[in-house]
Amino acid sequence: MSPAAVAAPGPFVHTLRALLLFGAMASGFFLLIGHHPGAIFIEIANASAGSGYAIGETLLRATPILLCALATLVPARLGLISVGAEGQLYLGAICGTGVMLAWTGPQGLLLPSVLLGGMVGGSMWAMVPALLRTAAGVNETISTLMLNYVAALAVTWLVYGPWKNPQSQGWPATVEFPGAARLANLADSRAHAGLLLALGLAALLYFLLDRTRWGLELDVLRSNPRLEHVTGRRIAPQVLLTMGIGGMLAGLAGIAEASAVQGRLQSDLSQGAGLSGFLVAWLAGNRVGRTVWMSLLIGGLLASGDGLQMNARVPSSVTLVVQGLLFVAVLGAGARWLPDRRKPRD
Amino acid sequence: MTLQLSGICKRFGDVAAVTDADLEIRKGQVLALLGENGAGKSTLMKLLYGIHQPDSGVIEVDGQPLKISSPRVAMHCGIGMVFQQSSLIPALTVRENLALALDQPPWWVGRRARALRTLDEHVHRLAPGVAAEATVASLSIGQLQLIELVKVRMRNARCVILDEPSAVLTPTEAQRLWSLIRELAADGVAVVLITHKLADVRACADAVAVMRAGRVVAQIQVAEADDNSIIGWMVGHAPPAVDAPQYREATLPVRLWIKGMSAGAARNIDLQVSGGEIVGVAGISGGGQTALAEAIAGARPIDDGEIILDGELLRAPRRAAQPSPQLGYIPAEPLRNAVAPTLPLAVNLALKDLRGLPFIVDRAALALRAQPLLERFAVRPADPSAAAGTLSGGNLQKLVAARELSQQPAAVVACYPTMGLDITATAQVYETLFGLARAGAAVLWISEDLDDLLRYAHRIAVMAEGRVVRVVDARLSTAFDLGRWMTGQTQEETGAAATRQHEVHT
Repeated sequence: MSPAAVAAPGPFVHTLRALLLFGAMASGFFLLIGHHPGAIFIEIANASAGSGYAIGETLLRATPILLCALATLVPARLGLISVGAEGQLYLGAICGTGVMLAWTGPQGLLLPSVLLGGMVGGSMWAMVPALLRTAAGVNETISTLMLNYVAALAVTWLVYGPWKNPQSQGWPATVEFPGAARLANLADSRAHAGLLLALGLAALLYFLLDRTRWGLELDVLRSNPRLEHVTGRRIAPQVLLTMGIGGMLAGLAGIAEASAVQGRLQSDLSQGAGLSGFLVAWLAGNRVGRTVWMSLLIGGLLASGDGLQMNARVPSSVTLVVQGLLFVAVLGAGARWLPDRRKPRD
Repeated sequence: MTLQLSGICKRFGDVAAVTDADLEIRKGQVLALLGENGAGKSTLMKLLYGIHQPDSGVIEVDGQPLKISSPRVAMHCGIGMVFQQSSLIPALTVRENLALALDQPPWWVGRRARALRTLDEHVHRLAPGVAAEATVASLSIGQLQLIELVKVRMRNARCVILDEPSAVLTPTEAQRLWSLIRELAADGVAVVLITHKLADVRACADAVAVMRAGRVVAQIQVAEADDNSIIGWMVGHAPPAVDAPQYREATLPVRLWIKGMSAGAARNIDLQVSGGEIVGVAGISGGGQTALAEAIAGARPIDDGEIILDGELLRAPRRAAQPSPQLGYIPAEPLRNAVAPTLPLAVNLALKDLRGLPFIVDRAALALRAQPLLERFAVRPADPSAAAGTLSGGNLQKLVAARELSQQPAAVVACYPTMGLDITATAQVYETLFGLARAGAAVLWISEDLDDLLRYAHRIAVMAEGRVVRVVDARLSTAFDLGRWMTGQTQEETGAAATRQHEVHT
């Protein structure tokens, strides 16, 4: 039995309620745009899990979302609301690419160094709001949000300016990552080894957060920050640590996207993974297990966009609307309109 | 307005909160409603105020049966209630808060709005020390309650219910409240004063009703009741005895030594507490007592001086404060300062040793370790997996005591440990606290209850404006003296000699 971070009321009831609500809202939306809901649901299922290719695409989209969700979840276990995964992802991509561009060492060490560069880059970016928070009490939600714009614009500047590939004929991107700097693909899909890394890290985080003393200490400080002196554990170092770990995870997502999927650094690299990850983490109540499943679900939904466009003749952006409806449904199903919290007796 | 409650019953699930209660509330009289925590006093009054609906029974107002379906209806009928927890909005001014509570609040709350002028008059009359422009956040607890009272009065309530108003007041504030209550009664208002303090009854009540386990067990005129029979009705048996500590002539070695310490509101404090000694600390709120306790506990950094426990340096400026198994600390407001409300009791009991737990935490073992402690300190429910936030005030206090006092600490710092507790729970906390002193611990005990301080402490340190102005032998002082020193009236009344002595002392 573990204390819930932001506990959902009864997982089964909650899931059922959310699915019903989602089904109703999505059906309404499909009818509104003039399509039969059943047909589109089947098409979404087909396009996200109907074939080996489809599954590969789903896993491909799920990977950065899962990493960004974990990046949100770790600080959230201390009670921090970080929306900075997006920016940390970009900084991870920048630093990893920088390592690749500057690399002169042996080819065998290139990939680990690039990945490490990405993780360090994300961490460093997360340190800015973390230090602002510990040193000056600056609200981490605002600072991480603002730094997202800075990071995205930094990528744009680099790919239009100093790092632009001279052979790309105006296309704003860096040179391609060499084969030795790319994560291996899984089977013959486009999904890559970053997924395995993400799942491994999720398992490790589950153990650390839900089974160890460190996780318990985070629970205690989240529940009541005034317990610093009772436990003798300071909050400030934990802010730096959890934000740093979060940045590392998001940075890994960024460099994996750049090196394995796009093959180069370019703007609009994240495709909204940072924000999706944030929503996934909070809607999963910041529990690791639920976050993994929800990331796969969202990944599948987003991956089905192309299939929808081709087969059901609806624009692929429909999936973004459906994603929004799914989040609203989960939120709505978890709403506390029923007084379920017991009050202390008088 | 005269109210008559007959045969009122109310159940919450399996719990019978109020059973067959009869109560008469008379115009122009102050009725003190007494009872232990959970006796049903608040529930009965909430039934009258329309927050809950009775399962059966009749409420008659001036002879007419009345169904009070909501607080709005109650207010409309002229019944008003002042709650223990302030419902004022801290960021707004007193005037704005009152305007919000009007039946038809003005749409424009300008500085000079005419509609608000009458509000100012109410404030001026009932709470003379409070400026209508002051933000509520800047008021003391006593002032908050006065404003709550204004809120009820300005709607012309003919029956005013006060829910334990004196629990958090200083002696001076309590006296002010008592005289206000008498004024209300003189105006013909029917007043119900929910309390568990006999002092309130003696100071301002005409009649007293006692509730126990959901029933009204007695209702008589104050003149006909003596303290012992009231306590007997409240607890259902002879009052629980707390052994007054023995006086020892021999001086034992000092265990807790506060040396020229300054921290927050507490300035330049010198205090020594010997093993086996209970030193009480008295002072009005904001006098620095809480800062003193927090500094000793390490919850507040100290600016100057040092604190020594059993000859070893415990706290000093710029020194990271670590929890010590040798020091037990019961902070004020345990829910806010001492527990993790969302986490289970088992975890809350292990907080002090959190860093000593094995890296992989065995929660079953934590629960196993917690069970006997919960039994020993009679925490209800004794369920290690229950969340601490669901406990009642008394049980929360016992939970903190179980964590802080069970390891035979060398020194104990207790900050208002019985605030809001009923007689039985208070006796239990005192028994534990003074038992530790008998076993040789140094006890520093901050309390607002001067009578209890005088009864149980060996020495009493009086604080005013952050300084210890007196340390006196409890046997040789009176509540009157303490009150005088607390409010800093030393100089004018005792002359220049005393002033010199005072200055040397501080």
